[in-house]
Parts: sequence; C-alpha cells; structure tokens
Amino acid sequence: MTKVTIPIGPQHPLLKEPLSFLVTVEGERVVDSKMRLGYVHRGIERLCQQRTYVQNVHLMERVCGICSHVHTTTYCQGVEALLGLEVPERGLYLRTLLCELERIHSHLLWLGVLAKNMGFDTIFMYAWRYREIALDIMESLSGGRVSHAVNIIGGVRIDMDAAQVEAVLGQLDELDTHITTLLGVIEHEKTFRVRTQNVGLLSPEQVRRYCVVGPVARASDVDVDLRRDAPYSIYDRLDFKVITHADGDVWARTVVRLLECVESTKLCRQILASLPDGPTSTRAPRKVPAGEVVSRSEAPRGEVIYYIRSNGKDKPARVKVRTPTLPSLLALYDQLRDVNVADISVVLSGVDLCIACADR
Amino acid sequence: MNNDAILQSFRDAFPDLDLEITSLPVDEHVIALPADRVHAAVAILVEQFGIYHLSTITGQDRDENLELFYHFWQGHGLTLRTSLPYDAPVIPTVTDLIPGATFYEREVCEMLDVTFEGHANLEPLFLPDNWEGGAPLRKDFVVPPVEGGLDVDKEAAA
Repeated sequence: MTKVTIPIGPQHPLLKEPLSFLVTVEGERVVDSKMRLGYVHRGIERLCQQRTYVQNVHLMERVCGICSHVHTTTYCQGVEALLGLEVPERGLYLRTLLCELERIHSHLLWLGVLAKNMGFDTIFMYAWRYREIALDIMESLSGGRVSHAVNIIGGVRIDMDAAQVEAVLGQLDELDTHITTLLGVIEHEKTFRVRTQNVGLLSPEQVRRYCVVGPVARASDVDVDLRRDAPYSIYDRLDFKVITHADGDVWARTVVRLLECVESTKLCRQILASLPDGPTSTRAPRKVPAGEVVSRSEAPRGEVIYYIRSNGKDKPARVKVRTPTLPSLLALYDQLRDVNVADISVVLSGVDLCIACADR
Repeated sequence: MNNDAILQSFRDAFPDLDLEITSLPVDEHVIALPADRVHAAVAILVEQFGIYHLSTITGQDRDENLELFYHFWQGHGLTLRTSLPYDAPVIPTVTDLIPGATFYEREVCEMLDVTFEGHANLEPLFLPDNWEGGAPLRKDFVVPPVEGGLDVDKEAAA
C-alpha cells in the first residue's frame, strides 16, 4: 500500500500550541512519525543570564502558561538554597497551597482538551466549568487566574485571612463533588472508554527507557512522585496517596489525573487546617553567593528540574530548565506507531503536552 | 541510591583516577569524571545499580572549557560532571544505554555545539532550520538585533 505523509502542525486545530508532526500512514495505520519543536522557543535560558535574580522570577513564571507557579517555586527554592535562606512557615504553606490548586486546574484543563479532541464536547464544557472554581480560588488569593506572581525569593507576597480560608474551604467542597461526578462519567460512559482504552499504550519498561515522569509514568504503574520521594517545601508533613494505575493507556491516565485532583483537594484542606501564623516572607539579599544548586519539584506533569549556578553577582551565571513534557514527547514516537489515524488525536492529547514548557 | 557503593564501583572500574564525591544543595551528589569515561560510568549506573532516570543534561560555557552535567535521580540526585575542550568538543553518546537522553543531547548539541558521537540524529530540535547564528549558549554568541525590538544586551548593561 502507498505510504502517505500527513503534516499535523505547526498550526493545526488539534494542537493548542505549535508543534510539528509528520505522520506517515499506510491506509489507516500510522507507520512512522517525525517531530519538530522550537516554534515557541524564546531563549529563556540565555535571557536569564542577563536578568537579575528578582527579575528572573517573573521570567520563570512565563516558561509555562499552565503550571506557571511550579516554575517559580522550583526557581525560588533553588535560589533560597543558594542563599541559605530560611523561608517562614506560613510562606511555605501558602506556596504549597497554590501548587496543589494549580495541579487541580491543570488536570481539569487537560481533561477538557482530551475530551474536545475526541469529540466529547460535554465533558470538555463541564471539566472547564469546574476548572473555573480552582481558577476563582487562585484569583481571589493572588489576583491572577493563571499567572499568579505569588512567589518571591524568600517566601510569597500574598496572605489569607480567616474569611478567605472559610470561603476557599467551601469552594473545595464544591470542587470535590464535581470531580467525583467526572470520575463517575469517565468510568461508566462507554464511548469514553472505547476511545481511550488500549490507546497510547506505554509499558513500564518504555517509561523507564524514555525517562518519562509524572502522571504518564504513574498510569503505567511506575510509582514515582517527588512530593513523596524527595519531599520539598512542606510535603513531608502532609498526608497523601500517590495514585498509580496498571493499564498504561489514555484511560488510565485520565483516572490517575482525576484521582490526583481528589488528593490535591485533601492536601489543600490539610494546609488550610494547619496554616501557621507569622510572616509570609523574609527579606532576601540581591546578590547571591557563588555556588551551584539542583532544584527539583513535582509539577502537574511530573518532575521539573532547575540547575542554577551563581558566580556571586546579582545575575545568575547559568539557569537550566527541564520540563516534564520533553521526555513525554520522546515517548510519543512509540505510542503513535501502529495506531489508527482517528486515534492520533487521543494519543497526542493523552500525554498532556505543554509545548511552551518544552521549548522554553 | 547508595553513593558510597557507586563511588567504589567507579574507583574499581577506573583505578587510575582519583575520584571524589561532593555535595550540592538540595540533596544532590556530584562525581567529576573525564569525558572519555562518562559512557562507561553511565553503563555502571544503568547495569549495576539500575539507575535509569536521567533527569536532563546541562551544558554550560565556563570560558576556558565547556562543562556537561548528567543529572540522574533515584530517590536522591546524582550528577556526573565532565568538561570538554572549547574547540571541537566531542563526547560519546549515552543514548545506547538511556534512549531518554536523545532530546537532551540534541539540545546540548545545538545550544553549545557539542558533538555526541554515535547519536542517531543531531539535527536542531529547537532552533530554526535556517539558523546561522552559532551556538546560542556559548558566551561569544551575539544576540542578533530584532528590527523594532528591544536590545536585551544593551538594556541589561544600562
């Protein structure tokens, strides 16, 4: 049979961000694929070296448009470690609260995109409507829905009063109810299962081969979560389950992500219940002593790693950012092989691509 | 991850080297190696210790040489550090041991002009096809002016 090559991207209705895929098909089967990144490469690593540590917080917020908070968290954690700065407890708690809210918002956004791409618009609209609750909470705390600008070196710039805590608790209850509803839908809705089960399969061996992280790894039964395995911030004091699933397909990823949302609401409640009193930030010097640091954290999509080197000035000598989408993209070649043309959309959405993250 | 056992294995494998383990914040341990031993060291990590997760490869310009960091993770961080000459740097690829390194090596290749010997495809991953500006993360790289855009170097200097 003749082979035909179809371009998907850089501009394509399937993709929310520019990415180029050249998919070679034989009849209805995908036999080969090629990928090209860099359409939103902004040279952030180079730009960092020309900005001060304080300015870079705002730059790091723009690495990703969905998980912006986790990038500033990882960056600030690194710089704070270089400075030997003790961040006030209340600051750490609020920082972690935002991290978990962001996880809920990111996972619900992903579910919407997946549902939209498979033609299930009802789930798309409900998922995004429920996501608004998480966005509302973040907006009420920080003033920003997606770019929160909450982190500063030495803590956070926001604070909560008792009335806000009460309001957020109510909103979390609401979120919990809706996430449970969504879980029920994806578990019992036959069309959803037919489209996602046994599609985009990744075995635990493949996950290890390609160094895949986050919910995609956990849905393939690889039990890894930096919040538990290398606790940063206050995660060692919080009680939560790491969700894994044995199936390794897009359906397993959906279940893992939604159950993670439930865990995140629990984490938020724990944080609010034990919120300590005191200041939320401490003053940080502008110049950072010479040294190197490797800072890791668990973003909604998995491990984020920052390498920062200081040469004693007010600007970093090198900042390296690796986001979790990059290894997920590498694993796409294997996932796309032999799938049906109609399943390409599900496979591509299934890994939760964030191209701006990967390109930097 | 047992750092002492790893260090001992490295010492056994490379008896001519004087190897030390140093620490970095936060929970990261670093072993410096010559570039021609990196492949053998990664093989030890993968085969003897089952450490498969390579978080990323960081490359940086240190004026007189280039430095590469292979950041591994299994419960704790372990970084292999090596340096390469400034002119025509070449290092064997580790993609035969860890296929996950494919994109990381391609990125270091285009950003710092390091050749990974044995890598299947070292085409640019992030830079445009018609890129002619050189390696952007090398210090001698000059940011080309964008018409009507901000001159970041000038702005930063001011």
